[in-house]
Amino acid sequence: MKKLNFKVTRNLLFAFEIISLSLIFLFNWPNIDRNTIYISLGLIGLVYVSNILLFKLSKGDHYIFSIVCMLISIGVIMIYRIDQDLGLRQLKWLYIGIVSFFVTYMVFKSYDRWSKHFNIYLATSYILFFGTLAFGFSTHGSIRWISIGGISFQPSELIKIIFIFILACIYSDSSFLSKPKLIKYKEPVTMILVYSFIAILFIQRNLGASIVFFSIFLGIQYIYSEDNKYTILNILLFSIGGLIGYFLFDHVKIRFLTWLNPWEYIDTIGYQITQSLFAIAEGGFFGTGIGRGHPNFIPLAYNDFIFSAIVEEMGVFTGIAIIMLYLILVYRGFKIALKQKDVFYRIISIGISLLLGIQTFIIIGGVIKLIPLTGLTLPFVSYGGTSILTSFIALGILQGASEKEIYGGPKNE
Amino acid sequence: MKMFNILSIIAKYVFVFIVYTFIFLIIRMIYLDINSLSKYENYNGAYLKLLNRLDNLPYKLNDSYSIGQEISLGRHNDNDIVLKDPYISKHHFRIVKDENEYFIEDLNSSNGTYVNGERIFDVKKLAYGDIIKVGNIEFMFINQE
Repeated sequence: MKKLNFKVTRNLLFAFEIISLSLIFLFNWPNIDRNTIYISLGLIGLVYVSNILLFKLSKGDHYIFSIVCMLISIGVIMIYRIDQDLGLRQLKWLYIGIVSFFVTYMVFKSYDRWSKHFNIYLATSYILFFGTLAFGFSTHGSIRWISIGGISFQPSELIKIIFIFILACIYSDSSFLSKPKLIKYKEPVTMILVYSFIAILFIQRNLGASIVFFSIFLGIQYIYSEDNKYTILNILLFSIGGLIGYFLFDHVKIRFLTWLNPWEYIDTIGYQITQSLFAIAEGGFFGTGIGRGHPNFIPLAYNDFIFSAIVEEMGVFTGIAIIMLYLILVYRGFKIALKQKDVFYRIISIGISLLLGIQTFIIIGGVIKLIPLTGLTLPFVSYGGTSILTSFIALGILQGASEKEIYGGPKNE
Repeated sequence: MKMFNILSIIAKYVFVFIVYTFIFLIIRMIYLDINSLSKYENYNGAYLKLLNRLDNLPYKLNDSYSIGQEISLGRHNDNDIVLKDPYISKHHFRIVKDENEYFIEDLNSSNGTYVNGERIFDVKKLAYGDIIKVGNIEFMFINQE
């Protein structure tokens, strides 16, 4: 049997990064300072070393991190090509991201009482939510940023992870809701909790995040609730909410109008989505080649619309490849959940897989006009410090959960 | 800029090739992984769990082996677990079930069988979590009853 191992994928990743980096430097020649070269070479080294390190360190899953490394490589190349300054900042964020992946993994693995702190999770997320409402400032029509000491971040990204912990506590019966007196009200109270989150997100005009929260909740509730009528009730409530939103709020209506027929509003509200479609069409099978397209025509090409920019310059084949990479990633997440014996860690794994999968579906579906567009980042690919950081934290937790799977409890080694 | 255009066009094909090879390899590894697992996906009783990493071994092994009434390990093909390893004897050890207890017996192997680091010479009762070592291979004994 031919021996197959991670060395080959590691080297492929390395080759991809070196070729694309040389190309991008050639493209920007001679406007490149030494610093950039060092930083990017350093990152390539870090990715290579951390793949080896993880293989030695972890007995759990080894696929998810390699897959994510491929995704971040494609993403950062594209961001750097669109805007050098942003690219440089993204490179630095990736350093922080990879380091925080290892830190999260270690911390999550070595501590065993994650399911006991339901109240802390709940309090933290409300504080973060109301903090955003009180001190937040708005960009692109939604209040979702707060700034501490010059560094601004999106609390809602972080709350996504805490939210998964909250649901895991509730459905693994580790919260106060499972006390004998209260167990009757577990489902209704959970729903009130979740809808209060969604309502706050809606006030912040963060449509994308509210859909992500809802979908994670729906998924976990469907799997773990004893009574399916709550799931049906949920879907009904959400549809009614969507309808009311459509008639009452302009920003919801706009999403639907530009989804159904963006060509009518090509000069105004439909501009973004039509530019995105032009870019995808321009790319063809193999793309125009890096540096030969016009991704700058799409507003926010480095962020929400990075998928269109990638398809334009690297072709629809790379686009399909990205979707496949996410598919394998989500599949691995569910695999980890299936092997896990502890309900709490199982729900955590399912939640994180759902988070990554749904967020990818919503934003890629949005930019190719499959579903109405809502502003979300493509995990690991889009530009954005908070997004990169929280995605890596989520991945670290998943890695930790994959390792707790073996004996379903404390390790006996 | 003409030079750059040519390079960029070549590179885009290279990129697609690399990314797809990468995906293919990952899927292939996952496939091999599942293939070795699926046979013993549902074990209720006792089983041996391999502690070595599968892809570091030069021969094919499963992730875990269900014990049932009896299981034997050795280099010879009539064993339940066949290890083509020069350190392993033809019939190395066997584990026998007797009234819901599991006993391991060394079959006069030349390099010995170690349970939790101690070489065994006759029969020894196994407890949950015992680590059985033969050559470089380590198994953990797990009993779920």
